Amino acid sequence: MSSSQEVHKNVILLPQTNQLIGLYSIIRDQETKRGDFVFYSDRIIRLLVEEGLNQLPVETATINCHGGQVYQGAKFLGKICGVSIVRAGESMEMGLRDCCRSVRIGKILIQRDEETALPKLFYEKLPEDISDRYVFLLDPMLATGGSAMMAVEVLLSRGVQMNRIFFLNLLAAPEGIKAFQEKYPEVKIITGGIDEKLDEDKYIVPGLGDFGDRYYCI
Amino acid sequence: MPQESSSPLKSKSSRIAPDQNDSSFFESTDNVSAPADKPSYIPPWTEPYIIGVAGNSGSGKTSVSQKIIQELNQPWTVLLSFDNFYNPLNAEERQQAFDCKFDFDTPESFDMNLMYETVKSLKQGKKTEIPVYSFKLHNRTSKKTTIYGANVIIIEGIYALHDQRLLDLMDIKLYVDTDLDVCLARRLTRDILYRGRDLEGAVRQWETFVKPNAVKFVLPTMNNADLVLPKGLENDTAISLMIQHIQKQLSHKSSMHLNHLKALGRDLSFDIKNVPNLKLLPLTNQTRGIHSILFDQNTERSDFIFYFDRMCGLIIEKAQEFLTHFDPVDVTTQANYTYKGLKVNDEVIAVNIIRSGDCFMNSIKKTFPEILIGKLLIQSDSMTGEPQLHYDSLPPNMTKYNKKILLFDSQIISGAASIMAIQVLLDHRVKEEDIILCTYLSTEVGLRRIKHVFPSVNVVIGKLSSMEDKADLWYNEERFKDSDWLFRNRFIDGLYFGTR
Repeated sequence: MSSSQEVHKNVILLPQTNQLIGLYSIIRDQETKRGDFVFYSDRIIRLLVEEGLNQLPVETATINCHGGQVYQGAKFLGKICGVSIVRAGESMEMGLRDCCRSVRIGKILIQRDEETALPKLFYEKLPEDISDRYVFLLDPMLATGGSAMMAVEVLLSRGVQMNRIFFLNLLAAPEGIKAFQEKYPEVKIITGGIDEKLDEDKYIVPGLGDFGDRYYCI
Repeated sequence: MPQESSSPLKSKSSRIAPDQNDSSFFESTDNVSAPADKPSYIPPWTEPYIIGVAGNSGSGKTSVSQKIIQELNQPWTVLLSFDNFYNPLNAEERQQAFDCKFDFDTPESFDMNLMYETVKSLKQGKKTEIPVYSFKLHNRTSKKTTIYGANVIIIEGIYALHDQRLLDLMDIKLYVDTDLDVCLARRLTRDILYRGRDLEGAVRQWETFVKPNAVKFVLPTMNNADLVLPKGLENDTAISLMIQHIQKQLSHKSSMHLNHLKALGRDLSFDIKNVPNLKLLPLTNQTRGIHSILFDQNTERSDFIFYFDRMCGLIIEKAQEFLTHFDPVDVTTQANYTYKGLKVNDEVIAVNIIRSGDCFMNSIKKTFPEILIGKLLIQSDSMTGEPQLHYDSLPPNMTKYNKKILLFDSQIISGAASIMAIQVLLDHRVKEEDIILCTYLSTEVGLRRIKHVFPSVNVVIGKLSSMEDKADLWYNEERFKDSDWLFRNRFIDGLYFGTR
């Protein structure tokens, strides 16, 4: 990939090329139909996953090439897994599988508690050996970061090392990034776009609407 | 069109030894003179070998022409028949024709100017339309045949050796000299059995028109011939001598083509860093890991396909950095905020070089769902390594202002196939700067040749090797050389499609 920027410590922004802005212009548009929304989101998600994979260490390996040449190449360590936050995060699983075929994927369901209005963990199903793995946490939007931070808490409680968590999202608000950095400074955030701010309803401005609704329903 | 500066190689006549693979491209090119001033590529179809075949009606011109085509076995031979160049008739003439009272056998009944323009256009390597004449309607039909990329052109007809302008374009001129009685017998059979005439009309036509014209106009053109073939097709000795001669001429032509290709790109001041419009995939953990899987001889085929698709995805993303038509657009989001974005107005067309470029197909579809796809089949002659264009199928309207042509080939070895493919696109009036050549593995010598002839073509390369073993090349940390097996053998398509 062309050089992604580390805009803040541990915040990696995809290169803002014209064609990437072109893709975002399609998925942000309220007029865009679901088929196009899904197709172009998937394209951005693959770029995020590629960037995430690029952050992983590899080990040097001696390769016996076709034609008999010996090449000092690299071997993927393969100790990764995806964890998607139900339901919007699941939309990113396909992009992850496009780049890592047999990757293990865990799920976390977090919903807003009706009484306290705070995010509450309803369900989790994670690979047994998750503590040995690098984790790609999948949630397309980073607004306040409430649910993602709760998901990180779950991962840490299962023994995952903080610096092995990569949070992949399509859009991030500065408020969410800040909250994350204060609480989990070693989590790496990989995003395709950083927007202006949150509005009073905690929606990203200008944002793209409710990602899950647009991907699954409308 | 580059044909105007074709002179520097005209004088070369040395024959190069046949070679089984592309390796001859890496050997010394000292015995080849480099093109003098502006580098140019002269594709074989810019200098097609033109054969004229004349003779009386029924003399066996067509059979002789077919025999030549069969024996030469060239990838792209075109038979141009005078039959399609009759002048269209007016209503009155057409009635005469239906009554077998129209003289079809004078030089004036043919559109010599159109024939000349057609051959001239083909000789310049241009895409050319050929009229289609109907004997049933006695008129030109609305159909046209499009011809492009011919290596050998055979002009066949009673007046093939009549017009001086045509004679000047021909490389060899044949006259098939068959006894007029034999001609009549053949003509009657053909007219009655295949052209729906009756005996009386056919005989009358022979006596009033065909025979007098044959004596008056056709016979004298025998003097323009290089070779007269008595007895037509039955004359095995003459025909095999002639075919040997043509084959010799063609192999001379193809060795000049090869030498010309080899001589390209020897410019020593070439520095990858300063080549405009070139993008190399950066070496990252991921790309290094993917290269390792693709190069590894122990990799399973399913893994090879999966990782090659990923590699193609990265190359195609990179290629889009060459798009140029982005227009500002205000987008309204679901929550009614405005996003100042960009609309991509480039229309991308993919052209695959069969079959090595087809490996990109999966990833192309994942990036551009509704893309138009063109195909080119270019193969290297197994004896000489000379690239030959066998087939082209390209979408219409490739020249609109906002079109970008992504040209795919998974490997650039000698550069010859890419150069030929680019020339095909240019012949279809695509602009050099609108072509984005995408490849996974490329040699430096191949890249040099391409950039030397087509400096404005954009190129995206996954992994570039070097001509010499040099340390500290920012793009080639692993020090791959052009002469390494991986870079000089076409192995990707075989592994991808499982034919190896």
